Amino acid sequence: MQNCFNRFIGATIGLLFLLIGIPSQDCAWAMDQHTWTSQEKVVLRSLWLGSLGPLPVDPSNKYSDNARAAALGRKLFFEDKFSGNQKVSCATCHREDYFFTDNLPLSHGMATTPRRSMPLIGVAYNSWFFWDGRTDSLWSQALGPIENKLEHGISRTMSAYIISKYYREEYKEIFGELPDFMEDAFPQHARPAHDDPDALKAWVLMTPEQRADVNRVYVNMGKAIAAFVRTILPQPSPFDHYVEQILSEESMTNRMALTDDEARGLRLFIGKAKCTNCHNGPMFTNSDFHNLGLQAKNDKKKDTGRADAITQVLSSEFNCFGKYSDANPDECLELRFIETSEEKYVGAFKTPTLRSVTERPPYMHAGQFATIREVLEFYRSKASNPELGHDKLTDEELGLLEAFLHSLSSPVTSLQEEVRNR
Amino acid sequence: MKKLMLVFVVLFFLLPGCGAKEGEMAGQPHEMTEHEHADVKVTKHFDDSLTKLTDNNLYSLELVIPDKHLKMGVNTVEIIVHHSTGGDVAEAELSVTPWMPSMGHGVMQKPVVMERGGGLYSVENVVLSMTGHWQLQVKVAKNNKEDTAVFDFPEVKAMGHEHAMMHAPPPQDIDYATEKMTANNSYKVMYQSIGGPIRINRIHSWELKVTDADGKPVNDAKVTVVGDMPEHGHGLPTQPEVFTMAADGLYRIDGMKFQMPGWWVVTISIMAEGGHDSVSFNLNVL
Repeated sequence: MQNCFNRFIGATIGLLFLLIGIPSQDCAWAMDQHTWTSQEKVVLRSLWLGSLGPLPVDPSNKYSDNARAAALGRKLFFEDKFSGNQKVSCATCHREDYFFTDNLPLSHGMATTPRRSMPLIGVAYNSWFFWDGRTDSLWSQALGPIENKLEHGISRTMSAYIISKYYREEYKEIFGELPDFMEDAFPQHARPAHDDPDALKAWVLMTPEQRADVNRVYVNMGKAIAAFVRTILPQPSPFDHYVEQILSEESMTNRMALTDDEARGLRLFIGKAKCTNCHNGPMFTNSDFHNLGLQAKNDKKKDTGRADAITQVLSSEFNCFGKYSDANPDECLELRFIETSEEKYVGAFKTPTLRSVTERPPYMHAGQFATIREVLEFYRSKASNPELGHDKLTDEELGLLEAFLHSLSSPVTSLQEEVRNR
Repeated sequence: MKKLMLVFVVLFFLLPGCGAKEGEMAGQPHEMTEHEHADVKVTKHFDDSLTKLTDNNLYSLELVIPDKHLKMGVNTVEIIVHHSTGGDVAEAELSVTPWMPSMGHGVMQKPVVMERGGGLYSVENVVLSMTGHWQLQVKVAKNNKEDTAVFDFPEVKAMGHEHAMMHAPPPQDIDYATEKMTANNSYKVMYQSIGGPIRINRIHSWELKVTDADGKPVNDAKVTVVGDMPEHGHGLPTQPEVFTMAADGLYRIDGMKFQMPGWWVVTISIMAEGGHDSVSFNLNVL
């Protein structure tokens, strides 16, 4: 009200009485864009970064909030040595300068992978990890790419060797003693692999004690990386400032943090376009899996997504129930109540966060779309699907939605180098 | 893009195809009844009923839906069994099975068939647990002659909610009661979420209290829980587990999780001495 009044006064004084009609009209319209019902305010609050809450406890990783583990994890995250060609680190596909994802449709480590790199912003708030949720913790997620031929392309024995050679002291301070893993006692390329008979044979020929030693270091490496990746968090965006203005109601005296068009887009986002069906909560994701009917280009053996991941996560030696987990089995809620009907999840992929989404094209699990506009067009084309129904949106409305999505952009913070010595 | 659309169009026609080989869709009753009548000389009792010949041409079935459309939830239908040569069939054994062909599953609740005389059978407790493509498989047996027909319903919707908007309040006649009688009044069921109001995307637990019609606690029931989102045709992202507390008719459901805001229906089925019965609770998850 006050805002309107101010604008009205300003306009009348500034532009003489000639323009009285125009600002008052303009005002009524502008007011309307920024007036929200109490129910809409509940939804706005639920999307607000202020509702995010503290980082969720990962009961399977007792080092997850250990600052020294996070500092070590940061180094490991950027370490090129963990790769078959000494050139690939986690940061290759999760670029710090690109919101911890990359700009490729399909990520490229040692070779081209079948999927796009996931954004890591606020990833610790997820229930499941990877596009298909084939791990149930951030630390077990971090270990997957290391042994994937297309990504880092090395083994857990090589990883243990690199840790023992280059990160020995830091490791010891956090996790305790570790063997040398020298080449004469430990094979350099051994892992329980299904896609590499030589590495598998080498793994099987090791003694149970050696395998346990390697696994322990490998797991701790994952836990350190997870402790770092947890610190990758979004800062408040214009949208978050806007919600604060709306909720505090002092709003009307200030300039609104969203333009009228962005606010109209927001109204569509939580209303007619039904985006919050899946993109809900402060991270704009429900962390669940949905089939959009969208295959990767040139995908010959159809990517079944979540369907195949269910048995993978249940059988993983690195899951929450496993012996490398620090959790009491009662704490493994997601795994305990996992929905096991594969047919429900064929071709389903995880809802990604929308924070800073317009800053980091391309989009979808295999980078099928180069622009946000294409994504919105795609969803509009799916209007008849009950789950994806986004109603009949006009071109103008797609533009408004796009404008709103820009307001979700904000810098990303993560644990920085200097914190290491804390 | 175009290719994708094409795939979807093709899929759309293929999916209902498995159960509806005769090409008879519930949506076009007039066309198909005329056609059948020319063949089988059966006089329909109701104008707006659906008819269907059984697979081996023994019977012609007339299906009447008093509410016009099947909907998600509990339905009642009537079936008139005619001889394929004309004349009503009394004293037949009828069994009706709801089936979701695309999902490959039916429902736990068994429809209850009662003969009303003159070849008319009423079928109660036809529970369709979600929206989407359903079939009713009707088996008729009399004097060792058994035959089956399948009625196809390509698009079962939630009651009056076809164009509901996100966060729009559900229809006004929907109640959010947390204490209700089961469909056939066998049990009274009350639920509450443990540890405060239900929040989206959080795994949480419920406490149930089950009593029989006289208010006596039921401690040894087999209780199952199904959650569904009528507007979207999908269920919970978890598989909850139910435990009896073995006292005061109390049960605990662990592993409840709602991953989308809006209208949810949670159906609790109770199997105990009082028989098999179920109750559906409406929830508005924010």
